[in-house]
Amino acid sequence: MLGIESTAHTFGVGIFDEKNGIIGESRKNYIPNKGGILPREVAQFFSEVAGIAVKEAINQANISIKELDGIGVALGPGMGPQLRVGASVARALSVKYNKPLIPVNHGIAHLEIARYLTKMRDPVILYVSGGNSIITTYVDGKYRIFGETLDIALGNLLDTFAREVNLGPPYIVNGNHVVDLCAEKGKFMKGFPYVVKGQDVSYSGLLTLAIKLKKQGYNLNDVCYTLREIAFSSISEVTERCVAHTNKKEIILTGGVAANKLLNEKLSKMASKQGASYMPVPFKYSGDNGVMIALTALYELKYGIKIDPEKAYINQRWRIDEVDIPWYYSMI
Amino acid sequence: MVLFDDLISLEDFLKFQLLKRGAESEIRLGNFLDTKAIYKIRIKKEYMEEELDKELRYYRTKKEAKILSISFINNVNVPRIYAVYPSIGVIVMEYINGITLKDLLINSNEESLKFSYLAGRELAKIHKSGIVHNDFTTSNIIIKDQSAYIIDFGLSEYSVNIEDRAVDIHLYKRAVESTHAKISSIIFNEFLKGYIDYFGSDKGEEVIKRSKEIELRGRYVGERRTVWKP
Repeated sequence: MLGIESTAHTFGVGIFDEKNGIIGESRKNYIPNKGGILPREVAQFFSEVAGIAVKEAINQANISIKELDGIGVALGPGMGPQLRVGASVARALSVKYNKPLIPVNHGIAHLEIARYLTKMRDPVILYVSGGNSIITTYVDGKYRIFGETLDIALGNLLDTFAREVNLGPPYIVNGNHVVDLCAEKGKFMKGFPYVVKGQDVSYSGLLTLAIKLKKQGYNLNDVCYTLREIAFSSISEVTERCVAHTNKKEIILTGGVAANKLLNEKLSKMASKQGASYMPVPFKYSGDNGVMIALTALYELKYGIKIDPEKAYINQRWRIDEVDIPWYYSMI
Repeated sequence: MVLFDDLISLEDFLKFQLLKRGAESEIRLGNFLDTKAIYKIRIKKEYMEEELDKELRYYRTKKEAKILSISFINNVNVPRIYAVYPSIGVIVMEYINGITLKDLLINSNEESLKFSYLAGRELAKIHKSGIVHNDFTTSNIIIKDQSAYIIDFGLSEYSVNIEDRAVDIHLYKRAVESTHAKISSIIFNEFLKGYIDYFGSDKGEEVIKRSKEIELRGRYVGERRTVWKP
């Protein structure tokens, strides 16, 4: 099974085999010179590298395209221009080689690769990235969204803050986020807004205040420290509520922010208090990649889920709780 | 209300019998001046900065106690408060020895429907007091002596917002649907009747209408789809 991922800044192609697992993969990341991601420019970049990425993955897997069972593609959620590139490539491959085309939800793919790699079968999953902050777990046929951010995502909070106070880009230096590095010498400040509304968190007020305090000349190290402390504590608290409520005994952290050391520390402390086991998804597969799309497509194909190429529209706001998960109990 | 924070030690309370452990707090059954009493103890969170954790527990304990007492003054059936110790995160309150509405409805019969009606009335009282509950599920409603008592105001807020009120109704509906799927619509209709009877049909209907809208929004897209069909 081949999977294509192109929802944000990574064009990823992955090849997954039921017996041998991950057999081929290629990733092309778009790195802006300054500022954030401009969808149009990323899409341009994607269309240049798409062919190379597919070839690289196929070569690494040492198979021919004809041997594939199908083509899986992330049709959402994500940014339109990039999604269209991935969808076009997938439709073309599907039609040309006469392979079934399988629509995959990007968020679901993150959850499935998380379960596959950690071998946790029925976990509560915290999925935090640049565009998502979701606490989810499977109930009655679907991944239910137990809690989420009401405004901006956790990754977005850190990146935007870094950009506004001139700490980045690049946002990641030697595997550490610039806000983390800056926070190392910081102390806790009082009076930041800690917003947990029921099961949801909200970060926009935190961001606004932090930027304002920096402009007023407060110590940047302290501001970074507090911003991070509040953001991570609140999401850990909401995850804890989900674990207590559902009584599940496994917790997984995934998404682009999963490599963060402090967040890992907080969650593992929380898990041990709740009597649950905790595992982050290995760094290599916590971010966006094509393999997770391939894996999910493989599950879907087993249950006959596919789509006609001419009907394979992208869906920028495709929520994970809209997708039926018939394969939940028969994971590989 | 007693406020001698510094003279009280948490250790003593932790010896009481544990009834329930939630994400945030422990519910223990102990004694207060020779009567049975519930001790709601907000536990320290090891994963948080100590200062932040302390501040949050202090603030949340105080707020919950305040909301409970406002509800009580407005004749909502809630546990009476005996004592509050914000600095150690403890509220001591009346022990309501009954059965939760959730358990009651499992063996539901004609008679148990009236408790859903009563729950609707209680919620209307809460809303009229300028409060929203934010965790209004059937497990937080206790039936005792033919009355419905509302517990756990841990997530409550001050609000007269239609949207916030509608969320309470929506939460109740979801709780009923998830545990009593077959007769959920009958149970829920009784609840709405109780709500409107107390709140008045104008305002009540407005809130109920909004709760239907909430259902149709992003989170519950499945339902929105069916509406969209031509």
